[in-house]
Amino acid sequence: MHSIFTRVNNISAFLPSCTMALLACIALSSFLFTADPKGNLSISPVRAFPSKTNRYPRRKQEMGFVNFNISADLTSLFHWKTKQLFLYLEAEYQNTQGILCVNNTVVVWDRIVRRKEDAVINFAGKNKYAFREISSSFKKVPSSHYSLKYNVMPYVGVLTYGEAARTAEAVDFVWEEHV
Amino acid sequence: MSGNVLQEYLEGKIDFAGQKLVDDIVRIWLIAATAISFVAGFALQSLLVTFSILGLSTVALLVVVIPPWPMFNRHPVKWLPVAETKKSK
Repeated sequence: MHSIFTRVNNISAFLPSCTMALLACIALSSFLFTADPKGNLSISPVRAFPSKTNRYPRRKQEMGFVNFNISADLTSLFHWKTKQLFLYLEAEYQNTQGILCVNNTVVVWDRIVRRKEDAVINFAGKNKYAFREISSSFKKVPSSHYSLKYNVMPYVGVLTYGEAARTAEAVDFVWEEHV
Repeated sequence: MSGNVLQEYLEGKIDFAGQKLVDDIVRIWLIAATAISFVAGFALQSLLVTFSILGLSTVALLVVVIPPWPMFNRHPVKWLPVAETKKSK
């Protein structure tokens, strides 16, 4: 401490240790926030059309079109550590083609919410991403369930996941011959 | 004549009692600032409050501790008078 240089050295060594302790306390404070908001989700029957993708133009592919209504109030998830909220709508279905019954999970819509004011979701729309089955056809898929899930992304701390809404009954597929 | 004036300014020497005081001030100030900023930010639910309190208190600490204020120089070292060299010529 005898010179300015050593005083600056001392402070600049102790300050990052204090900052790291502060960040650890902030990260641990996430366990105090347990919010589990629920919402509503309604899906009309999914229509499957034969179509082509851009990448494989010669392949017969069936695309599903999902129209849905979401309403949820997720403001309780925004606390001081929340940086943003990642919402995604997932379709889960089983493909009974072949011997095994394969479980599939497809994300058809997502949204990033950065402010608490935007956390009240009232959205009606269709799927953002292509909903297609790897085996090119939805014929062997009896029905599908949809769930709205969220992921809380903090400034510092662990990522937490949760589910806000789920369809109570399975949604059927409707096959159309042409658009 | 003491040495270079600029060198003395840059060195900012303080005496030993002052150094102990500075050591205590830095440690207590930074720990208190961390605790206060966490509590205030948690109460107001804002990370901006937390880090701005921490930053401002660090700047205030720099102003208090870095320059060699007279309060750190109140107990200067008492040097003994120059002893006669006993070498016989």
